[in-house]
Amino acid sequence: MKSSERLKSNTFTSTINRGQHLKGDNLIDIRNLVKVYKGRSTPAVDDLSLQIGDGEIFGILGPNGAGKTTIISILCNLIHPTSGRISIDGLSLATDKRKIKQLTGVVFQDIALYDRLTAFENLIYFGTLYGIHRQELEDRINNLLMRLGLDKFRNEKVGTFSGGMKRRINLLAGLLHNPRLLFLDEPAVGIDVQSRNVIIEFLQELNASGTTIIYTSHMMEEAQKLCTRVAVIDYGKVIAVATPDELISNNPDCRSLEDVFLKLTGRSLRDEF
Amino acid sequence: MKLRKYLISVQKEALLLLRDIEGVVLIFLMPIILVLVVTLLQHRTFQNLAEVKIPVVLVDYDNDSLGNAFSRGIGNAGIFEVTTIRGTDSSQLQKARQDVAGGKYQIGIVIPEDATLSIKNRVIVLIQQQLPDALKTVKAGNSLQSTISLFFDPVTKESFKELTRASLEKFATSTENRIFITAYSKVIDAITGQQSVIDIPDEPGIVFREDLVSEYTGGVMPNSVQHNVPAWTLFGMFLICIPVAGSIIKERSEGCLARLKTLPISFLNILMPKTIVFVVICLLQALAIFLIGIYLMPVLGLPGLQIGGNNAALFFISFASALAASGFGIAIGSIASTHVQASTFGSVSTVILAAIGGVWVPVMVMPEIMRKISAFSPLNWGVTGYYNVFLRNASTLEVMPEILKLTAFFVICILAGIWFRKSG
Repeated sequence: MKSSERLKSNTFTSTINRGQHLKGDNLIDIRNLVKVYKGRSTPAVDDLSLQIGDGEIFGILGPNGAGKTTIISILCNLIHPTSGRISIDGLSLATDKRKIKQLTGVVFQDIALYDRLTAFENLIYFGTLYGIHRQELEDRINNLLMRLGLDKFRNEKVGTFSGGMKRRINLLAGLLHNPRLLFLDEPAVGIDVQSRNVIIEFLQELNASGTTIIYTSHMMEEAQKLCTRVAVIDYGKVIAVATPDELISNNPDCRSLEDVFLKLTGRSLRDEF
Repeated sequence: MKLRKYLISVQKEALLLLRDIEGVVLIFLMPIILVLVVTLLQHRTFQNLAEVKIPVVLVDYDNDSLGNAFSRGIGNAGIFEVTTIRGTDSSQLQKARQDVAGGKYQIGIVIPEDATLSIKNRVIVLIQQQLPDALKTVKAGNSLQSTISLFFDPVTKESFKELTRASLEKFATSTENRIFITAYSKVIDAITGQQSVIDIPDEPGIVFREDLVSEYTGGVMPNSVQHNVPAWTLFGMFLICIPVAGSIIKERSEGCLARLKTLPISFLNILMPKTIVFVVICLLQALAIFLIGIYLMPVLGLPGLQIGGNNAALFFISFASALAASGFGIAIGSIASTHVQASTFGSVSTVILAAIGGVWVPVMVMPEIMRKISAFSPLNWGVTGYYNVFLRNASTLEVMPEILKLTAFFVICILAGIWFRKSG
């Protein structure tokens, strides 16, 4: 079943109803991006150029140390590039930070929540900082908690939650303001199959409602199912960009995205330090 | 909307703090215990000498005027608690030495057998020099000088020995003069055949009086409570840098800070709510300690804390100190990478700032170089401010230099924190 067909059957679009963005327009335009960390001679990102269309679920795949997290961190304004130009929705990342932050949501691999606050308190806090009015925010939180099966636990402290529950709250905290663009860094790592399934389905619903998703993962099977397009990067450079199906068909000796990935990046270990 | 963002952030910080109830208890309890212990320990040091009774054993082999006068006189001086032993043989001296060595007495004084006689002999010799025809039949003895022995408890400080020696020498001179004049008078009476009565006053002709320089009519004198309560309250306030820094590092290590940095808010929006919550905690901490100083310390036998008559000045100096302490914590939390770094640097730097700031030892007794360095410690500014409010009844305007310095320290710490996080 194609991704677009799965999305049509989804009922969540009423909660996040922003389908006006057409797929295909470039939402992100990265030109000649370079990042060299202090004390390092080799660049983490090396003259990378990439265009990501509006409405895509775009996977950034690569082995450890390939530069995935650096790219996401630059796009989220957490670190500054050494050189290069980035625009998001026509806005310059260098000069329109505040506007871009309002357009984007970020979900990190780490559970970025306060353990001593309840799920509701965490979400109210982050939502208010996005500038959402209280009543609207509460309604949105209640809907999202219900959608992800967490409404019964809204007043429990996050510190008491299982890994899967924390991941779901962590995801919600990044999209309370209904972002046009969502960055996801390994959103479903280390959790049970049921929680992962709920998260993946939810991401597809979000995408169907118009949210562009930039997604990094080590899980090739998940990326193959979820992503409309992927970029394989290694040593800070893009070595392939295509849909998962195109990548597989262009490499006749490969039967899956994982095979393609291993063929392009090699089988040697990439330990980070 | 900006206000709502600040309010929700303050609420979040307050909830995080209040839900760590053990941490909150420690924040309040530890400085209170510290202030109580240090004040009680230093109470004796800060008392006037007149209030302190030094245990003394006096072995009197003289059994005459000097021995009697010494025993009576130093007993009446008020600073010594005298036990007089009439000396008959060397066993009393032996026992006294053992008692002083064992710490029962701090000082031992031995009046030798011929002490009074030596003075009388000197009188005779002096009169015979002045009036060679008088007292022809009287022959002075050989002993013209006697030695009063002193021995001290081995743990006694040298400065205390000097002080005691000076006090005893002064008293010995006065007693010797009194005996001398009396003996001289008797000799003169014998020469002239008259019976004169000399009334030597107990009080000296020249006396000293200490005037207060403070204009404050309350007349509060520095004592253990007046020094230690504000000084250690400031120390407790500055120790809050450890939980403040810990909260920033925890937020950073758990990824929340990264999330916050992706939100459409400024870095100040992250730091200021923390500052507000910890400033309130510092002020409550100071209030609790001051109330203990006012109401509990007298129950423990200490003087009650006098807070002067200017509550506005007291509030502003406390507020500025709380700002400086919280800002210090924010700077440490922003610069340190780990909890261990922050807690080690925070605690050690607070101890150093307290030491050079006059929390432990008053600045006036420090060496010149340390006095100059002390002027750069925010704890010194706080202590000076509190001293001025408590002892000199200073107004807000009069403590404004200290308030401004503490506020400037806060601003510099916040800017350092922002700069370090943005450049790091």
